[in-house]
Amino acid sequence: MPYYIGDVIKDEKKLVARTPEKFRETGVDVRIDSRVEEVDEKAGEVRLADGTSLPYDILVLGTGTTPLMPGIPGETLEGVFTLKKFTDALRIKAWLRDVPCRKAIIVGAGFIGMEMCEAIRNLGIETQIFHRGTLPVNRWDPEFSQIVLEEIRRHGVDFVMDTETLTVEAGKDHRLRLVTNHGGAEADMILMAVGIRPDVTLAKQMGLPLGETGAIRVNFSQRTLREGVYAVGDCCESFHRVSGRWVNIPLGDIANKQGRVAGRNIGGGNMIFPGIVGAQSFKVFDLEVAATGLDEREAAQSGFHPVSTLVWGNAIAGSMPGNTKLGLKLIADRATGKLLGAQAVGKAGAVSRINTLSCALWAGLALDDVGWLDLAYSPPFGGSWDPIHVSAQALKRKI
Amino acid sequence: MGKHVVIIGAGAGGASAAAEARRGDESLSIAMIEQRSQVSVAA
Repeated sequence: MPYYIGDVIKDEKKLVARTPEKFRETGVDVRIDSRVEEVDEKAGEVRLADGTSLPYDILVLGTGTTPLMPGIPGETLEGVFTLKKFTDALRIKAWLRDVPCRKAIIVGAGFIGMEMCEAIRNLGIETQIFHRGTLPVNRWDPEFSQIVLEEIRRHGVDFVMDTETLTVEAGKDHRLRLVTNHGGAEADMILMAVGIRPDVTLAKQMGLPLGETGAIRVNFSQRTLREGVYAVGDCCESFHRVSGRWVNIPLGDIANKQGRVAGRNIGGGNMIFPGIVGAQSFKVFDLEVAATGLDEREAAQSGFHPVSTLVWGNAIAGSMPGNTKLGLKLIADRATGKLLGAQAVGKAGAVSRINTLSCALWAGLALDDVGWLDLAYSPPFGGSWDPIHVSAQALKRKI
Repeated sequence: MGKHVVIIGAGAGGASAAAEARRGDESLSIAMIEQRSQVSVAA
């Protein structure tokens, strides 16, 4: 959606995977603009806000997430947005165009904040980020977050760290004014991108067990602990294959897979969702940023003894014109020598390395294997020793 | 008519579940409820 708002994807229809009409052609009764008020398990009915009821034998909860708000006065004023649903994207795009918007503020510096600062800046709008911490995207090593910060600043985004937001009020030169511990800043729109949490309102109402993450507990077939009730997507947990824990990582690719698994089981099949390794990427201006597996903190919490290395290598062969630097960090377990996680940043080649290392994590490979992987070598695409080999062998020597 | 399936939410998860359930069993009665006016949108 940030790419739609930033005019990279111009046709909104391209974002819609399947229209309600397409679903209806297959005999699925799609009710849009329709809210579920209550699930009456005794009667086996779902009650809708318009007063009608639908009987069910099997129920699937795909209730998604709710954006978090800072909880400050004025945060519901017109011009203050969150970005979660497609309707939010439509509203933001219309607002940017019609107001018109000369300056935007983003609160929060997670990956939505990063994608959105690029989208808005590329529309020629002055963009300022207010962040609670000192560096953006805290999943990554500070050395990498620093590079992300330099990249957004290089593209004219103003980044204000250590911010506590206090109020939103009407502005003088612009529509709105955000007051923080650093004083006031005006803008024509404010995007609150401070995080999301699973929407488990209905699940709680039904008394469904939630996991430690606050998302709905499911098993490998996407069944909840209640007979006939499934949960899929951002509202439920997934099994993390590296930590062996159940986690809540709200990403669309995971939701797709879980939905397919639940659907297969409902349709008479027998399928399990084998879990995730925590692979994630985003682009910000000219940088690829990606990570997979665990960071040191998560590794330690999961009972491992993490050891790490961060190397700077070449995205393609160092002798080739157009080569750029690639930062790669690996985390492994001192006791077993197993790879636990990886992070990468660079103008090119970061996502491809992380995808490769995600396969290694999926298969539970040790550094000894990773250091000798047979990768597709050719100078325009990489060196004869890839940063993956170099970092894995370097980390192996540390153990 | 087969069993009644009600899917709450037509995001990536709900929409995939609807499509796959239908593929597996033509006789299912499937309803999908979405609060907003779009279904199955790429993030």
